[in-house]
Amino acid sequence: MSLAILQRIAFPVLALASWHASAQTAPESTVPDATPATTVEAVTTTATALPPAPAAPVLMGNPEEGRLRVYTCTGCHGIAGYRNVYPTYHVPKIHGQNAAYLVSALTAYRSGQRKHPTMQAHGESLSDQDIADIAAYLSSAIKN
Amino acid sequence: MTGKKPFVWMLCVLATVAATTSASAATDGNAAAGAAKSKPCAACHGIDGDQTIDGQYPRIGGQYADYLLRAMQDYQNGRRDNAIMAGFVKELSTQDLADLAAFYAAQSGRLEDLSHLK
Repeated sequence: MSLAILQRIAFPVLALASWHASAQTAPESTVPDATPATTVEAVTTTATALPPAPAAPVLMGNPEEGRLRVYTCTGCHGIAGYRNVYPTYHVPKIHGQNAAYLVSALTAYRSGQRKHPTMQAHGESLSDQDIADIAAYLSSAIKN
Repeated sequence: MTGKKPFVWMLCVLATVAATTSASAATDGNAAAGAAKSKPCAACHGIDGDQTIDGQYPRIGGQYADYLLRAMQDYQNGRRDNAIMAGFVKELSTQDLADLAAFYAAQSGRLEDLSHLK
């Protein structure tokens, strides 16, 4: 196993240790309420702890733009209990998901690195800014 | 022409049966057993799968169990490529994965579908 992979696996362990330490002194952290300009800053905040990652431009997502864009997503993600077929499993819940994760997921679908024909087709129609906008909107939690 | 209709209907019935069977063939997970196995996951996803330590890690609390199981199996077989997750799920059995999926699906997280937008 290469050193890089070991480092990646070691990170969550170190993170757990620091999380335990902070949990004893600091009150439970909360996610800030939805604000008009949610940033995709998480992509870069961990750059110091993880091995060097390809530098990605950090785009400011506009949740208002994103709200218009996600209309297409409702065709599958907006039907409660809707299932993907072959293989069969529920289409995931995506509202309230973390912005940085959504950006990485959509980007990976777009490039084909994450394999799902329908999601790849949708991803290919999106610019980096579109993806940032969608992530900004979906990550604004509506449930407490 | 009408003679072919029963054949078409039979195909439809068979397809439906096949789809239903494959859905129910999934391993049943035990949420309590999953809770006991979830400690390593909490390092990134938080103890309930919702309090993620960083936005790059997905919220998984309240997510559909079968989606979570599928994701973890994809990490295991390499269909989804992620060094961290591949390391964690490498040694886990299908029962372990189903238990973890059941545990996180049973949590009340922020995740929702988009049905309120329709």
